[in-house]
Amino acid sequence: MSLLHVDNVSVSFGGVKAVNQISFEVEEGELFSIMGPNGAGKTTVLNLISRFYDVDEGSLMFENEDITNVKTHQIATKGIARTFQNTELFEHETVLANLLTAHHRHKNTGLFGEMLFLPKTKKQELSFRKRVEDVIDLLDLQGYRDQIIGSLPFGIRKITELARAISLEPKLLLLDEPSSGLNPEETEDLSFWIEDIKEDLGVTIVMVEHDMNLLSQVSDRVLVMADGSELTTGTPDEATSHPDVIKAYLGD
Amino acid sequence: MLFVLKTLYEQDFGLFKHAVQRNCYVVLLVLLLIAPFVLERFYIGELSELFIWCIAGTGLMLLVGYTGLVSLGHAAFMALGAYANVILNKYGIPFPISIILAAIFSGLLGALIGVAALRMTGIYLAVATLAFAVIVEKFIGQGGSFTGGHRGFRVENLEYFGLYLNDPVVFYLICLVFLLLCLWFLANLLRSPTGRAFIAIRDSEISAQAMGIDLVQYKTLSFALSAAITGMAGALYAYKIGYLYPETFTIFTSIKLLMLVVVGGLGSMHGIVFGAMFIALLPQLIAIVRDLLPIWVSQRRGLEPFVFGSILIAFLIFEPQGIYGRWLKVRLFFNQFPMYRKATFKRQKSFLRTERVH
Repeated sequence: MSLLHVDNVSVSFGGVKAVNQISFEVEEGELFSIMGPNGAGKTTVLNLISRFYDVDEGSLMFENEDITNVKTHQIATKGIARTFQNTELFEHETVLANLLTAHHRHKNTGLFGEMLFLPKTKKQELSFRKRVEDVIDLLDLQGYRDQIIGSLPFGIRKITELARAISLEPKLLLLDEPSSGLNPEETEDLSFWIEDIKEDLGVTIVMVEHDMNLLSQVSDRVLVMADGSELTTGTPDEATSHPDVIKAYLGD
Repeated sequence: MLFVLKTLYEQDFGLFKHAVQRNCYVVLLVLLLIAPFVLERFYIGELSELFIWCIAGTGLMLLVGYTGLVSLGHAAFMALGAYANVILNKYGIPFPISIILAAIFSGLLGALIGVAALRMTGIYLAVATLAFAVIVEKFIGQGGSFTGGHRGFRVENLEYFGLYLNDPVVFYLICLVFLLLCLWFLANLLRSPTGRAFIAIRDSEISAQAMGIDLVQYKTLSFALSAAITGMAGALYAYKIGYLYPETFTIFTSIKLLMLVVVGGLGSMHGIVFGAMFIALLPQLIAIVRDLLPIWVSQRRGLEPFVFGSILIAFLIFEPQGIYGRWLKVRLFFNQFPMYRKATFKRQKSFLRTERVH
């Protein structure tokens, strides 16, 4: 059985059908990409899976569990993490504090234990701190640990956001245009990191991406969308050579 | 300049950044413990009041500075704490227990307001909390003999083990203990998951949800904790002034509290103390300056609100980070002398919403 099963999902805003009967399954350990021209509804699909939007029709299954109607914050508890296209970090906090916040779902302490900072809380902080350091090492963020997000360049913020999503220790990672705003060199690094996350950490990834190079390097399968509907699904080569896809990008 | 070498993860979440800082605080604590035995009565009283404002500020800072929710009604929580405590005393519940019960009572009402206010932010939330404050004030006024009505009542002077609560030294030490406890609780929360959840909500609600933080639960919790701490401050304040009536805690008190956190510096624990100093000492300063001014100025009513308001506006324009923000700049200036660059703290122009640094 697949890890994520999106079944005939639709959503419309006002009169616009943003996502129209999209279905796909993501296997465990797979990297599944979604591509398509601007306004195709790619990000909307991610927002549906992470429950920022309610689906009008269809259903979402994660690990054989129906998540169509769970609350937004419960998505993280189930083990789904995400990043945002233009980054949504905690601006006034350090990189370290941002990553530690992601451990919220592993918290095992009560309010009074935390107010008194009992040994249990201290032990928990120590374990969070160690696990965060592993992620910092993985993504080469050592130089930025104590810097406030507001003072960092955009590229580092994107990486920090990726690091924060990994710190959540998810089973499924949703990446919304991870390479947007990155220079070619950073994008190159990113493709290696994404492979590391997939291979070494065993995280399944659903990625929305524009960069064709990155896409064909790392994806196992690609879903191509246009105007809210599916055009085709297949390996990167199959998808990009499909006549409908070429038509959607280049016109008749 | 001081560089900290970190060799342990514990150093990242210690209460103090380094040994020098810790020693400074120890010296400050010793000075504060000696102070009531060497200072004159008047100054001991002033310091106690400063501590009470600090406690109230801790409550509001948690809500405004760390969770990003604005309240214009915190005077109501001070009033609730004050009245609850005095009434409990009347029914024979002894002092330290009564004040804890009063804080819990105030906290529960705070949680109720929190639930009601969940869907509101910014100016709407401010207006809603203001309405709550007005309701509480009227309610107390109509309370008959239970709350003393509009005429109010005298706060009894309690005696335990031969010590009187209104003895300046005893009261000073009580206030100091409560303040240290509140600051310690807040500092502990801020280095634990709950505090980080509050800050996450302040900086990005969307991201907080994506991290698995339940907005309903944590906003309510923040309101409750804030109300409880502020209620505690109210209870102590009642002992300080010795008489309670509905107009003890008015909208002006709420505004003063909000000024405390803004002028002190939003989102900083030092800001609480700086802000409280400003709130507690400025009226004295105005009183002194008043004598030096020509009569047609000094005899005017509303000189105090005018000065308070002007300073608030000046801070909002020139130093939105408050006194603590200014202090950081001054400290860096001396640390890096003569290499200080003004641009270090320059606010950058940003173009994306997410690039915005407030």
